[in-house]
Amino acid sequence: MADRIIREKNRAVRHGFVELTEHWVIALSGLALVLSGLFQRPVANRYYISSVPGLGWAGDYFVSLKVHYAASLLFIAAALFHVLYHGLRGDLGMIPRRGDIRASMEVMKSFFGKGEEPPFHKYLPEQRLAYAGMAAIIAVLIVSGLVKVYKNIYAPDMSYTVLLWATWAHNIALILFVLAFIAHVGAVLLKPNRPLFRGILTGAVRLDYAERRHPLWIAEIAGEVPPKKETSEPRQRETTPADP
Amino acid sequence: MKETDEKRGLSRRSFLRTTAGTLAVTGFTGIGTLRAAEAGKLATLIDLSLCDGCPTMTVPACVSACRDLNRDTIPAIADPIPVPWPRKTVEDWSDRREISDRLTPYNYLYVHRVEIDQGGRQRTLFVPRRCMHCDNPACATICPFSANHKFENGAVVINQNRCFGGAKCKAVCPWKIPQRQSGVGIYLHILPDYMGNGVMYKCDLCHDRLTRGEQPACIEACPRQAMLIGPREEILAEAEGRARNMRGYLYGKDENGGTSTIYVSPVSFDLINASMAREPGRPGMKPGVKREMAESDGLGKAVLAAPALGAVVGAAGAFRWLAGRKTRLVKEGKNNG
Repeated sequence: MADRIIREKNRAVRHGFVELTEHWVIALSGLALVLSGLFQRPVANRYYISSVPGLGWAGDYFVSLKVHYAASLLFIAAALFHVLYHGLRGDLGMIPRRGDIRASMEVMKSFFGKGEEPPFHKYLPEQRLAYAGMAAIIAVLIVSGLVKVYKNIYAPDMSYTVLLWATWAHNIALILFVLAFIAHVGAVLLKPNRPLFRGILTGAVRLDYAERRHPLWIAEIAGEVPPKKETSEPRQRETTPADP
Repeated sequence: MKETDEKRGLSRRSFLRTTAGTLAVTGFTGIGTLRAAEAGKLATLIDLSLCDGCPTMTVPACVSACRDLNRDTIPAIADPIPVPWPRKTVEDWSDRREISDRLTPYNYLYVHRVEIDQGGRQRTLFVPRRCMHCDNPACATICPFSANHKFENGAVVINQNRCFGGAKCKAVCPWKIPQRQSGVGIYLHILPDYMGNGVMYKCDLCHDRLTRGEQPACIEACPRQAMLIGPREEILAEAEGRARNMRGYLYGKDENGGTSTIYVSPVSFDLINASMAREPGRPGMKPGVKREMAESDGLGKAVLAAPALGAVVGAAGAFRWLAGRKTRLVKEGKNNG
């Protein structure tokens, strides 16, 4: 585990090199996939995108297909790496837990000044739910995308029913992926979440922030409480070191 | 006579493979009676030594038959046709339906008259032109809505109820065959000003007729039996045999990665292509046209291998970490004990 406290620097390390690399490979290749996927639709010429200096390639379907393939190579390899690497290590911190939906609603309310945030583990309950949602969307994109690539190379006359399912699953999952992507980036813009942005850039967040907002996690890595069977409920305020 | 009998033998073998509900296309041309006798891959042969452009007719018989069959394919056009934004391209052929000497949304087949100077000897060839029904057609494989599909029998068919008319199929076709009619199709019901621009139309090899066991209308109508349809391997063998006999040339066997339309000609296609007057809707016949998507096939194969690559590296990384942790725990145990 990369998680550790560096008190002299007021830092709590959330992510190691591997996790940061996974995140940014998936994020950047995902962005490239969204763009090159859009350019596989007849939009670049119609909307003069291909007239923008440096984007001439956007109007060439064969070139944007190569970009799409190159990005999907990284995206798929990183996604499968993520599943196997963390699955075998038993890293379950982002898997949704019982009570996450209710807890998420409370957290959302607290963003708008209604009630207080509960103390958090390493991840917020809505982060775990978003992770599961994004994982499902990515799984659909990968499976349907692989069917389409196989068709492009080996089976242009594959079953039309299978192809239509793959095509529409891919198109609908693309829309969901874009929405989830926007929501993910938007979440970081919310004031209480902003300190987490440093975490996904450098791997570490401010320790005082972590002690205030993620006391369950800090207690866990400080060895103050044994790792629990993690659920979002019951609330564990009484065990929170940062609590008054 | 002997040749005819041999062809009949070929035909009989094909026919014997016919099963109920499969194709039994009869009345074959020129050399006898090849049959498209099975639901496997079909191909067509166009023999330019036989096509004379139907000199006694205003419109060649094959073109007329195709036009008659598809007269009502395009539904009523929206009035007014929405003007797309921001590029205001509207393609409306509804007031030019009579055009039969080029490809249009209302005309999927035309006969290209080519005047050739063959070493000082003038020669006229008539070249029926329509969709080549490629073996791996980019127009179909990268249609974003899978509105265009290659079927097992080889026909590449645009589903006009799914097509948005973005003309991507035309852009990636080496011959720019599909033609757009604005003001029809599903886009009218979604965001007509911002997405889509009509429906693309082209020859579908009379897919419906083939599934009913009938020949394409153009082949049935040809008075000179200049066109054939049949099982792919048999058509290829027939085309190669004819080319050998006339010391001629083939087109479509290897072009764009291979197609289901094989032309046989006594004149080289280099010369035919050079002599063709090329205008929009009247494509050339450049020999050796490359399948552009082949350039991305290697990368595509790597994509298909990506799940295994990611899984293997992920598993290796995890086992390395687990082994390291075990070693650490053993060391800590020794130190503590």
